[in-house]
Amino acid sequence: MINPTLRAFIKKELRQTLRDVRMRVLLFGAPVIQMTVFGLALSTEIKNIKLAVFARPDDAVAERLTERFYASGWFKPVLFSPTDDPYELIDSGRADAVLIAPRDGLGRAAVRGDGRMQLLIDASNATKGRIVEAYAKNIVAAFIAREYGPAPPRPFSFDVRVLYNPAMESSLFLVPGVMSMVICLITIILTAMSLTREREMGTFETIVSAPLSDSEILLGKTLPFILMGLVVAALVMTAAWLIFGVPVRGPLWEFGAASFFFVVTTVSVGTSISSIARTQQQSMLGGFMFLFPAILMSGIMYPVENMPPAVIAVAYLDPLMYFMRLLRNIMLKGGDLHVFLVNMAALALMAAAAAGLAYNRFRQTLN
Amino acid sequence: MFAISTESLRKSFGRVKALDSVSFDFSAGLLHGLIGSDGAGKTTTLRLLAGLLRPSAGRIRYFRDGAPSAFEAMRPSLAYMPQQASLYPDLSVAEHLEFFRELYRLDAATFRKRSSELLEITRLGKFSDRRAAQLSGGMYKKLGLMCALLQSPSVLLLDEPTNGVDPISRREFWELLYGLAAEKILVVVSTAYMDEAERCARVHLLDSGRLLASGEPRAVLKAAGARSFEEIFIRSAA
Repeated sequence: MINPTLRAFIKKELRQTLRDVRMRVLLFGAPVIQMTVFGLALSTEIKNIKLAVFARPDDAVAERLTERFYASGWFKPVLFSPTDDPYELIDSGRADAVLIAPRDGLGRAAVRGDGRMQLLIDASNATKGRIVEAYAKNIVAAFIAREYGPAPPRPFSFDVRVLYNPAMESSLFLVPGVMSMVICLITIILTAMSLTREREMGTFETIVSAPLSDSEILLGKTLPFILMGLVVAALVMTAAWLIFGVPVRGPLWEFGAASFFFVVTTVSVGTSISSIARTQQQSMLGGFMFLFPAILMSGIMYPVENMPPAVIAVAYLDPLMYFMRLLRNIMLKGGDLHVFLVNMAALALMAAAAAGLAYNRFRQTLN
Repeated sequence: MFAISTESLRKSFGRVKALDSVSFDFSAGLLHGLIGSDGAGKTTTLRLLAGLLRPSAGRIRYFRDGAPSAFEAMRPSLAYMPQQASLYPDLSVAEHLEFFRELYRLDAATFRKRSSELLEITRLGKFSDRRAAQLSGGMYKKLGLMCALLQSPSVLLLDEPTNGVDPISRREFWELLYGLAAEKILVVVSTAYMDEAERCARVHLLDSGRLLASGEPRAVLKAAGARSFEEIFIRSAA
């Protein structure tokens, strides 16, 4: 039987949060909309890359390769004349990439084992440039396998393999990251604002003067948000599956456990923020001051390994990083137990530390 | 019956002295009035008595049937109604009662009896579905009082409960307080309205953190040689 004080708080918080239609939309609609928008907007996938291919008109191999490029859906043809300067095509922006086949034909060069082609890429946007390069390598690798078979010797020196996300769909990679971001945002802001609102309105004094223990008040004010956070987690996972087709290859209990420890951590962070903030605006600001660095250092957008050592050291204190890794592991890789346990242990430690900090800060506020 | 006394009570917030060596005697079963203008130290006194603040110096003593009692032992019998809006604007009258019922862990039978009594004396019964934000000033204060009274406290601390309330609702509110004092509940009510001082069994006049006078209203006026409580405050300021 649940403690009546906790039941009172859970009922009150759920009533207050869910009564308002706008709040219901914010709580359950916004995460799905945010995830969809972020998932699409943050997509690193690039389509309609303008590609010009320079090859002899009688080079059948180059022609088939060109067809493969255009059939991939990532590249589209460019109108140009064989006398055009390839560099000028890129300079003028008429093409994003130019593929130049060997002068005597790709087929002949391949027979000699010298199938070197030149690929000019507009890398004024470095990220885009790298992606175009990766796409081209993939297409060429697939083409070689089809034309010459998988066994060596190979006429081309490409060897690219893409695991877990063979189509390199960025949504598969990004959606788990966006999910962790959305859950983090909702739980931190809701908790911090609810506690500050209570203090701002003066109702906090009423609760504090009631004969309740510190831990009863703290649990009463945080448990409803842990529950709401778990509901939001389940909701965004379902949306990720339905909207983006992101699979859940690992067991659901791993997802549940990871979400629980993550939500405990974020709700505790929200509680700690509310112990410093005096107004709801300050709470909101405090929430975002935690969120922005947490998102940037989590590896959702940029690989943590690429960061300077000092930043990597801080990133290891970022709960979002562990949760995001857990989600990618569970959803994309099938929830490898070793990866799960390592990240889970870190997240559980973080949850315990954050809850301890929140409890201390909360007691100081009460006293 | 409960009583509270303080000895040389001081409370400072940084450099600001909110209370400066004040000794009160809140004797049992009476309606006490803490009278003073804004910034006199009324709220600080009530928050100290409710255990929400710790004194900078001096001490507070609690008594139960004449014997000293620890604060923790009497905490369940103490109710405090803050000056600010102490209710949830988006919860209805009935939902407030339900929330406080579970907070105070009242059983269903006691709750039914107590809440119907309170709804009757406050005449809020027909507004039980109305949200706190939609109540008038007087009704809002009555709901606050009702939530505080739900647990049948023996000590009731009310911080300016009639502030901003129309005269008719104010009179009704005081009638409720007389009823409570008749039940031998120790009621300490703070007010900035001087005319309300005469409604109390004992008054404690506070000015800038100092206690100007304490006692029965008429005796205080007589001792000061003043015709009204305003006069005492005006003289003190001069």
